[in-house]
Amino acid sequence: MVIFISIRYLLTHVRQTLVCIAGVLISVTMFIAMTSMMQGFTDKFIIETVESSGHIIIHDEPRQSETPILEMHYPDGGVLSLDGPKPRDTIRKIKNPTGLMMQLQQMPGITAAAPVVSGDAICTYGTKTATASIIGIDPKLHLKVTTIGKDVTQGSFDRLETSADGIVMGWGLASVLGAQLDDNITLASPTGGRATAKLVGIFQTGVTPVDYSRAYMLQTSAQTLLDKKNIINEIVLRTNDYTAAREFAVQIESLCGYKTESWQEANANFLKIFRIQQIITYVITGSLMVVAAFGVLNILIMAVLERVNDIAILKSFGLSRNDITRIYVVQGFVIGLIGSSVGLLCGKLLVEVLRKIPIQMEGLVKADGLLMSEHRSDYVAAFVASMVVVMIASVFPARRAAKYDPVEVIRGAH
Amino acid sequence: MGHTEPLPVSRRPEGPNGAPLLQAENLHRYLGSGETQTHILKGVNLTIDRGEYVSIVGQSGSGKSTLLYLLGGLDRPSMPEEGSRVLIEGQDTSLLDETALASLRNEKVGFVFQFHYLLKEFTAQENVALPMFRAGKLSRKAAMERAAMLLDRLGLSSKCKRRANRLSGGEQQRVAVARALANEPAVLLADEPTGNLDRKNSETVAQIFQELAAGGQTIVFVTHDTHLAERAPRRITMEDGDIVADTRGQPL
Repeated sequence: MVIFISIRYLLTHVRQTLVCIAGVLISVTMFIAMTSMMQGFTDKFIIETVESSGHIIIHDEPRQSETPILEMHYPDGGVLSLDGPKPRDTIRKIKNPTGLMMQLQQMPGITAAAPVVSGDAICTYGTKTATASIIGIDPKLHLKVTTIGKDVTQGSFDRLETSADGIVMGWGLASVLGAQLDDNITLASPTGGRATAKLVGIFQTGVTPVDYSRAYMLQTSAQTLLDKKNIINEIVLRTNDYTAAREFAVQIESLCGYKTESWQEANANFLKIFRIQQIITYVITGSLMVVAAFGVLNILIMAVLERVNDIAILKSFGLSRNDITRIYVVQGFVIGLIGSSVGLLCGKLLVEVLRKIPIQMEGLVKADGLLMSEHRSDYVAAFVASMVVVMIASVFPARRAAKYDPVEVIRGAH
Repeated sequence: MGHTEPLPVSRRPEGPNGAPLLQAENLHRYLGSGETQTHILKGVNLTIDRGEYVSIVGQSGSGKSTLLYLLGGLDRPSMPEEGSRVLIEGQDTSLLDETALASLRNEKVGFVFQFHYLLKEFTAQENVALPMFRAGKLSRKAAMERAAMLLDRLGLSSKCKRRANRLSGGEQQRVAVARALANEPAVLLADEPTGNLDRKNSETVAQIFQELAAGGQTIVFVTHDTHLAERAPRRITMEDGDIVADTRGQPL
């Protein structure tokens, strides 16, 4: 009976009901669209960064203690001070990288490993110069730990092995230099190494920092250029679950003793920004939901005030306070259910429409349209959040309705 | 009214331990609080048996309606610790929680008010069926059929599907009577049932009451209408919160 009465009240005040539903619908639609947009941007950055750089990188140095040496040895303090310590003059490298890689590949969850020599170099083409992060790779192995091969838009990684001194660089770097495929680029390292390399490939990951800074060469060529003969200073690893990279990294670091960075640690600053961005998105869309809930609250309060006589008569023929409460809570539930469900559909529709809008984006991420990424969890969160907010909003008028004393109403006190 | 079948009335057996249908014992009721508190009922004692047709008369403010609401369990007595209480078929309403009291009203009491108080978003038939839906003893279909039957007996068969707010005042009051009878209540309590009606409709309602009472339905009504009051065999007169006269005439 409670449902019968609730539905009848909703149907006989269609305009009010539709206003309530529209409020919920719009807030859920905006939630889905905005989170998809923000998530799309984040996902693109994370996926491209992770897939083009590897899930885990082992560096050629031990992790620096967060406690300075003096504090470690003199925890009670003192007048000791150490200024400008000179780094040890030793050649940094990963010892027995082949053995270590074989050992790591035995670990469950590690699917591939590749050795890398890396360092910075200045690229010159004509009068243009740009700083590049040179990565010396074994193409066959490296393409197993990253998907950078799929991002090549001109030339190919295979040409690294067929050309004497080939280089594959990001499109951003190439465009800064003004270099085209097969152009010769002069490279100079800080240690004095010089080389001339032919541009045999251009890749585009869509992640600006990668596309504007990274260049790949054959390992031997890079070792010569960077003055790191026979040195491997990084091992790149791929796991079967990139989200678990942090846990793998901790495990590997304790095993090998070298600083082992997961992609999460390497991109911690970006992830922090994304997290803040995500919180702002949730605050904005959450506020929309709260506004919609206030709409429901307002209209249900009006409905209660208009139906004080009804409440009295319902109580006179046997409805209890709980029954009256349920009548208004059910109305809130129906409004929430319809608004949220249709809102999810409209949200999905809006996501598809936005996805098709051709907008050239170039910032941290380069794309030809809005990056939309849908997660089932966002749909569930939107539905649950709007239902909870609307139900909370309906409880207040429902409790108010239940409190009316039928005798006072009949006497005309209300 | 154009009906041939007798009006359906409750012919309930005796209550538990032969208890009277309605009993008010040392009934007090205060309204308001602080300086504005008013002592409306001042220790009323009253017993109403099954099948009685009772009118309660008195001047405005004498406590007639308050007594009626207390007898029907719509209100609770003040000073229960002093033995101020109402018993419906032997059940002390002060001892019942809100839900149990609501169920008691649904099962045993039918209310009719001066201002009709129908649910305007519902049809006449639905208004009558709602107490049956609440009771849950009949299926939805059976409740709607019984509602139609009650409306038919009250001469409203053609108005079953009409929204309550599209009925005339007299029709609305007849729908309210049909609704009060929906669950075959032990007692029909009416507060100024003709107070808002013209002479013709007042007479129709009076006839319905007369017919119901003749069939054995217990009816207690409050009125200012002396003609209506005189039709009831038992007449209670109230003054200043207490019963000053309780006269019994020949049963119908």
